[in-house]
Amino acid sequence: MADPIIQGIFSAAFLASILRVTTPILLPSLGALISDRAGVTNIGLEGMMLGSAFTGVIVSAYSQTWFGVETGLVIGPWLGLVSGVFVAIMLALLLGFFHLRLKANLILSGVALNILGSAATVAIMFELTGDRGNTSTLASLQIPFIQLPEFIKSIPLVGGFFFEVFDNQSIMTWIAFIAVAVVWFMLYRTPFGMHLRASGENPSAAQSVGIPVQRTRFIALILSGMFAGLGGIHMSMGYLSLFQRDMTSGRGFIALATPLLGGNTPVGTMIASMVFGFFDALSNRIGSLQIPSMLPLMVPNVATVMALVIYALQTRQSQRVRAMRTASTGDFNSAYWTAVQRLSLLHVVMAMLAVIGVIIAISLFLAPNGFGGYDVAYPLALVIAVVSVALISANIPFLTRVERISAQIRFSGLVSVISLGVYLGLFFSLLMQPSVAFPLGVVLGFGIWATIGGWRLFGMARQSA
Amino acid sequence: MKSPSRSWGWLAIAIVAAALVTGFITYRMFNGSVDEMTAQADYQNVILVNVLVGISVALFIFQLKWGALRVALTVVAALILGYIVTAFFNLDTAAQFTRGKYEVALISEAAPTTADGTTLSYGGVEKGEFNKQGVRSPVTDVQYTFAGKSGDVVTLLAYAANNRSLVDLQLALTDASGATLATATAATAEQIGQFKDLRTEQDAALQDFTLPADGLYTLDVRPEVVSFSTTIGETVKATNAAYDAFLLGALGRVNRWAVWIQDALTLILVGLAIAIAFRANQFSLGAEGQLYLGALASGMIALAWGNMSPWIVIPVAILASVTAGFLWGLIPGILKAYLNANELVSTLMLNTIAIRFYDLVLTFQLKPPEAGYISSEKFTNNAIFPSIVAETQVTVAVFIVIAAVIAVWLLITRTPLGYEIRMVGANQRFAAYGGVNTRRTIMLSMAISGILAGLVGAHLSMGIYRQLLINISIGLAFEGVVVALLARNDPLVIPFTGFLYAYLRAGAQFMERDANVSFEVVRIIQAVIILLITAEALIAYFQQRRVQRKGLQSTAEHSKQAAEGGAHG
Repeated sequence: MADPIIQGIFSAAFLASILRVTTPILLPSLGALISDRAGVTNIGLEGMMLGSAFTGVIVSAYSQTWFGVETGLVIGPWLGLVSGVFVAIMLALLLGFFHLRLKANLILSGVALNILGSAATVAIMFELTGDRGNTSTLASLQIPFIQLPEFIKSIPLVGGFFFEVFDNQSIMTWIAFIAVAVVWFMLYRTPFGMHLRASGENPSAAQSVGIPVQRTRFIALILSGMFAGLGGIHMSMGYLSLFQRDMTSGRGFIALATPLLGGNTPVGTMIASMVFGFFDALSNRIGSLQIPSMLPLMVPNVATVMALVIYALQTRQSQRVRAMRTASTGDFNSAYWTAVQRLSLLHVVMAMLAVIGVIIAISLFLAPNGFGGYDVAYPLALVIAVVSVALISANIPFLTRVERISAQIRFSGLVSVISLGVYLGLFFSLLMQPSVAFPLGVVLGFGIWATIGGWRLFGMARQSA
Repeated sequence: MKSPSRSWGWLAIAIVAAALVTGFITYRMFNGSVDEMTAQADYQNVILVNVLVGISVALFIFQLKWGALRVALTVVAALILGYIVTAFFNLDTAAQFTRGKYEVALISEAAPTTADGTTLSYGGVEKGEFNKQGVRSPVTDVQYTFAGKSGDVVTLLAYAANNRSLVDLQLALTDASGATLATATAATAEQIGQFKDLRTEQDAALQDFTLPADGLYTLDVRPEVVSFSTTIGETVKATNAAYDAFLLGALGRVNRWAVWIQDALTLILVGLAIAIAFRANQFSLGAEGQLYLGALASGMIALAWGNMSPWIVIPVAILASVTAGFLWGLIPGILKAYLNANELVSTLMLNTIAIRFYDLVLTFQLKPPEAGYISSEKFTNNAIFPSIVAETQVTVAVFIVIAAVIAVWLLITRTPLGYEIRMVGANQRFAAYGGVNTRRTIMLSMAISGILAGLVGAHLSMGIYRQLLINISIGLAFEGVVVALLARNDPLVIPFTGFLYAYLRAGAQFMERDANVSFEVVRIIQAVIILLITAEALIAYFQQRRVQRKGLQSTAEHSKQAAEGGAHG
């Protein structure tokens, strides 16, 4: 049961599937990033994605009737792409008009846009196909996939792996990852990017130096609409080749969280999107095992909530440290605070991961039949619950007061190493005997703890004693 | 409120409106017949509920005064837009005349001639379907070839194959050289009487045509081209029929009325839940997940304790659902209050988690192994809300909703916590400066919102569905946003907006059933309502114009007076 998962996870095919499922998260995430940085959070991404996904399918399907099958097959996908993105931009303009001109509440008009996107696509689909579920009766087209040249395989060492990961990926996937660089360049290397960031960080200051804040925000919304549109196109014309009602299933909302997790930078956003892509791909893979499919499907959402918590705690922590550094008179020990910050992050992550354990325990307890009956599920639930609660309650004291980390460095270190040992041991036991896996996990956990600053703090504590 | 006389005026308007609405609904339901009314079981309770609807109208007018007019105008504007959308979707109504199954018959007394390549013979009938939907290359016209001798008298009929097919046909007869010999479009009344296959004048008949020469003839059959005026006429007719079902369908029969009322009860509770959070300026959409967990909690109690007295099961189940909602609402509350985590993102994520969890427990634990689709067993009669109108799902939930409205109103306007919620909602920094514990307030506002959402879950599981189903709610939280926004988050106005919005939702269902217009039209209307209600500058714009006009008038009067004064002086 375990081996296929692990082999699957470490395979090039799995990496390729991560890229595939990351694309529809990454594209709207870039949109969310741009609008966030301009200070106009675009809640309507979901609706824009749906609008463009649907338009792309319809236009590409009908282009075969309009221009004949021969021509339609060639230009259809691109026509679909352009019109889909156009629709998404139109929706973004609508949002911009209502928020920036008519002063409508940004969040509520975004919600309205999502409802509009979901409802209008279903209504029009019902009109065109008589079906309110999907457009399988339409012969819609796909955006072409890029086939890599064969010679790449012959590159020694990495060639075969590289080929397997990047071959036969949709053009949209390439666009998404190239767009990360483009967005980075736009944000940090162009005057417009500077205006955009200024409009988000301090609109009145930006206004006072002559930056057209309203216009910049309008353009930011349009750009975010464009990226949402590209993401929608990938959903219906790359990832799948049809439109299903509400097929984005919350990706537009996840995209709101990824920039937060990625520290509001393009590269960070990309990494955060790939984390979600990883969980998404993982749930696709372990969904076929004996585990109820709902459980892995919860993981990306649980991870988002955790990301919010971790991000908030980290922001507060670094604000505090920065304030201390500003207030200090030369005796600020930056190495010490870096170590404390890193260790507190470790404690947060350890506590957060245990929350998944609590969820699993509750699931086991309430639905034992999904996990092989009462006699298997209940003991397991008890063990998982006890371990999770223990891990949470051991880690939490170090979060509420970070000073405890250095004051009780031995205890903090013990908790960190044991927590890491449990998680790593669980992970390794998929690969090997548990009797080997858990000791290995503890050793590796100690290594991680010592490297990120535990050893240094320990040394400092001994010195001062 | 400033001058009592003005308040009295509004009160009078409110009471009159309430009476009118109650009367109209009751009148429409029973076609104005007292006999029909008394024949209905529990008709007193029907009237009671209608009086409650009337009271909600009165509260709406009295609470919002001129604001009520704005809400009404917004709804009317959205309905007009909905009409245009519906008309747009109905633009192809006339296309029904160009598609459908048809039959073609060739009748002749003469001896049949045989030849190669013929597709039709004397006495033969051919069938087909024009412009079939969902086909990649539909049939738009057909040709049949038959052989005939000079002097043969033939009759050609083209007609819709059955009652459902409304295709309007025309036919043309050409000879081997391609020259058109005769055409026919509309069958005459005589022909319809003569040939039993013809039903309406949309069928086409070419009667007693004498073939001029020996050889092959081609019969061309195709739907008639629909004129522009027919297209528009049919569109308006279909749209009017659809809107008739939309706006009055809910008052047709008692079971339709019950669909409206039971949905309204749900929406009022969701609206209250959303309004509490919105009052504290928290854009929490967590009601969706909270109501799923509420439904799960109450459903599990109802299934496990189904044999106990209803006086025990129902309160315990409600308590369980409320607790589940409270706890699930507490999570985003804590995240927002103590970590400043974006409540919109966190609630949306928690919603999905809750729904998946509900699915998990339902699929693997509560579903009986032999059940064909994913649902729990039906609850026993002890574990469901008793109906107050027989054979409908209008239950004692009516009284729960009344209690909830009053409780939320008291909470918001008459308690310290309510005051703090309003303070935080108006200006969080100012509230903190004034000594309000903003963290506690934000946390509690979202958790209390969860209590009401949990109650919605109990209402859905024990009141409406009476079992646990998959997809027990699809986006109710968003519906709640409309209800709360229309009511300006005022708990006393929410009953009206709940009834109103549920009326539109129920109407949309009947529109879909009766007129085949997609239910989604009502969601488009919903989006428009949100946009129009939240567009603050929209009123500001009109107010500005009014002020400008008044200003201009008064300046004009002033200058006039000044001029007169100057003249006198």
